[in-house]
Amino acid sequence: MMDEEELTDYSEDGVDLTLIRSFLSLTPAERLDIVQRHANAILAIWKLNAGK
Amino acid sequence: MPESDFQRALRALHEGGVEFVIVGGMAAALNGAPVDTLDLDIIPARDEENLARLLRVLDAIDAIYRIHPSRRLKPDANGLVSPRPHNLLTSCGPLDVLGTIGRGLTYQDLLPHTVEMEIGGGMRVRVLDLATIVALKEELAGEKDLAALPILRRTLEHKQRGSE
Repeated sequence: MMDEEELTDYSEDGVDLTLIRSFLSLTPAERLDIVQRHANAILAIWKLNAGK
Repeated sequence: MPESDFQRALRALHEGGVEFVIVGGMAAALNGAPVDTLDLDIIPARDEENLARLLRVLDAIDAIYRIHPSRRLKPDANGLVSPRPHNLLTSCGPLDVLGTIGRGLTYQDLLPHTVEMEIGGGMRVRVLDLATIVALKEELAGEKDLAALPILRRTLEHKQRGSE
C-alpha cells in the first residue's frame, strides 16, 4: 500500500482531480452513455419517490 | 431499462449488508436537485463489522484507487479505518468512500439527517437530506460549494413549499 498522502489528489479549491482524469480517459460516446444512464436512473427514482 | 453504474454499486452495497449514507452530488440529485453528478459518495458506519462487509463488497466490484489506475492499488482493512477519503474506481463506476464530511461529521452524526428512499428493485437506501446538504455547503463555503448552492437552495424551497 502506498503512503496515504498519495492516495488522493484534490485541487486547492476542493475539486477531485482523479475524477476529472478518469472521465477524460473515456471517449465522448462513453461519457454520453454514462451521463444518459445516470439521468435515466435518477428520473426513475424521482418517479418512485414522488409525493413522499 | 438497464441499471446505471451507481445503481449497480448501490445494489452491491445493499446486498453486501453495508450500512451507509449517500452524500454529495448524488444525494442532492436523488433529493430532486437538477444537478449533474457522475460519482457516488458514501459514508459507511465505522464499526469493524461494517467495514469488513464494505471491504468484501469493494473487492467484489474490483475497487482500486483512482489516483494511479495502472497500479491497481486496492483498498485494505487498515486503510479503510482511516477517516480520509478513498477515491475509488470500480466495475460500477467511480465510488468515493468518505470517513467524514463537513467539519468531521460521521455516519452516526448524519443518520438523523437522512431520508430513506426507494431506488428500484425493492432496494431502500439512506440519503442525506437536502436541508443538511445546503447547510453543509453554506458552512464550508468553498468555491465549489458556493457554485452549487443556488440550485440546491431553490430545490429545497420548492420541496418545502410542496410539503406545506
